[in-house]
Amino acid sequence: MDFFVADRLVKNFGGLRVLNETSLTVKEGTITGLVGPNGSGKTTFFHVVYGLLRPDAGEVYFRGEPITCLPAYRVYSKGLALAFQLPRLFSRLTVLDNLLLATGRRSGENFGTALFRRRHWQEEEIKLAEKARAVLELVELTPLALKPAGELSGGQRKLLEIGRALMADPVMLLLDEPAAGVNPVLGRKIYATLERLRREKRLTLLIIEHRLEMLLDHAQHVYLMDAGRIALAGEPARVLADPAFYKIYAGESRQWQS
Amino acid sequence: MDPLFYVFDTLVFVGIFALLTVSLNLEYGFTGLGNFGKVAFFMAGAYTYALLANQQLPFYLCLTGGAAVAGITGILVTFPALRLREDYLAIVTLSFGEILRIIIKAEEGIAGGVRGIWVPSAFAPLGSMRSLAVANVLLVLCCLAAAFLLAQLLAHSPYGRILRGIREDDVAVQALGKNTVLYKLGVLTAGSAIAGVAGGLFAQYMSFIDPYMFLPLVTFFVWIMLILGGPGNNWGALVGALLVELLNRGTRILKDYLTLPVDPNNLQFILFGLLIILILLYRPQGLLPEGPVKTAARRMFQNAPSA
Repeated sequence: MDFFVADRLVKNFGGLRVLNETSLTVKEGTITGLVGPNGSGKTTFFHVVYGLLRPDAGEVYFRGEPITCLPAYRVYSKGLALAFQLPRLFSRLTVLDNLLLATGRRSGENFGTALFRRRHWQEEEIKLAEKARAVLELVELTPLALKPAGELSGGQRKLLEIGRALMADPVMLLLDEPAAGVNPVLGRKIYATLERLRREKRLTLLIIEHRLEMLLDHAQHVYLMDAGRIALAGEPARVLADPAFYKIYAGESRQWQS
Repeated sequence: MDPLFYVFDTLVFVGIFALLTVSLNLEYGFTGLGNFGKVAFFMAGAYTYALLANQQLPFYLCLTGGAAVAGITGILVTFPALRLREDYLAIVTLSFGEILRIIIKAEEGIAGGVRGIWVPSAFAPLGSMRSLAVANVLLVLCCLAAAFLLAQLLAHSPYGRILRGIREDDVAVQALGKNTVLYKLGVLTAGSAIAGVAGGLFAQYMSFIDPYMFLPLVTFFVWIMLILGGPGNNWGALVGALLVELLNRGTRILKDYLTLPVDPNNLQFILFGLLIILILLYRPQGLLPEGPVKTAARRMFQNAPSA
C-alpha cells in the first residue's frame, strides 16, 4: 500500500457535495501538488484528512494505518502536520512562543511535569529554542522572535505558519498554498527549503498551490481537482500540457510557462 | 471595636477573594474559559468544609475535602459543556451556581437548608480574640501564597503556553497535537479546587454560612476584580482583588457620611458599573497587562537575539 492514501472521501456541507469520492495517493519522499479552481474542495480535503472535519464516507490511510476520523491531535502524533491556508497564529503570544508550542510531545506540557520537573523541561526548552532559532532563520523571522505574532504582516504570518509546521519534524506535511502572499524570491526560497527537507529527511509533502511554475520545478506528481473529484493526475509536465487542464483550471493563457 | 480587627477582617476577605480571582485568572485570563459559576465551587468548598468540620475533623482535612469536592464538581459540571462552543460553558456554569444554591436552600436535613449551618472555628483553642484573628489572617495568606505560586509556575511553563494558545486559537492547538479538551478540563478542575479552598476558608472564618451568602453577585465581584486587575496576569488578580474589596468597604463607610440623591445602598453598584465601563473602554488589558511566557528560551533570545 502507498505511503498516504485517501480513498473515495465524501463530504457534504448541507446539500452541497464538496468532496465527491476524492481519491489520491502520495508516495514516500515526494512532493505532490494539488491544484484546482477555487471552491473545488482542496482545502476541505485537507481538513477532512487532518481530522478537523468528519468525512461522510471514505477512508484515509497513513503508512498503512487507517487514520479516518481520528481527532487532529492524534493525526499529528502519527507524524502528519498541516499548515493552514489562512494562518492560525496565537496572536498575543510571541513568534518564539508560537514555535515552541509546536514541538510535539515534550516535558513540562502537563500539570505534573510543569510543576515538579522544572529543571528538566527548562533544559529541553533551551534545546527547542535552538531549533526554533534554526526555523526562524529559515523563514527569515529572526529579528521578530520576541514580537507578538499579531504584529506580523500577512506574508510574515504565512511564513510563521509554515515554520510552526516544521518545528516537530513531521514525516509528512500538508501545505495549503505555502507561497501565497509571499514575495517571489522568498516563495522560491520556501520551495528550495522544502525540496532540501525532502531530500535530506525524506519528508513527504502534499501541497495545494496555484503557482504552477513551483510545481513544475519541484513536484513529482500533480493532481487536478475539479468539483470534489480528481480530474487529472500525473507528472507535472504532462498534466500541465493536457488540454483538459486548460479547460478546467488554467484558462487559455500559457504565460506561466515562460 | 478595635480598628485592628477591622484591618484583619479586611485582609481575610481580600485574601479569600484574591484566591477566587487567581483561580478565575487560570480559567479565563490564561485559557479563555468564561466560568460564570465561580460561586458554585466556592459554595461547594464552603459547605463541604462546614459538614466535615462538624464531624470534628482537623481544619486542613476539611480544606482538602472542600478542594476535592469542588474540583470534582468542576469536572462533572464542565465536561459536558467543553466540547461545545465557548459560550455554552458560561451558560452551564452560571445556571449550575443557581441550581446548587436552590438545592442547598431546599435541603434541610444535611446542611440546615435556608436556616444555614454553624461551623466550628479551627482556632478556638487559641483563646484570645487577637491571636484568633492573627491565625485567621495567616491561614488565608498562606493558602493564597500557595495558590499564587502554583498559578505563577504554571503560567510560565510549557503548560501555561498551551493554555494561552487555547485562548488564542483552540483549533490550531489541536492541529499541533494537543488534546485541548484535557487541558481545559485540567484547568477547570484546578480552578474549582482553588475556589473550594477559598470557600472552606470563608466558612471557617464566618463560623456560620447560609445559602444567601452565595448569590451570583459573588461571581460578578470576582470578574470585576480580574477585569480591573488584568486578565492573564497573576499579580493583576491580586491587585484587582485588593482594590475592589477596598472600594467595596470604602463605599460602605462613605455612605454613612454622605447625603446622596440615590439610595446609598446602591452606591457601590453604581460605582462598580462605572468602573467596569471605564476600564473596558480605556484600558481593556487591565491595570497590569499580561506579560510574556518567561522561560529559559525567552532569556536565551533576549541575551543573544541572533546568534
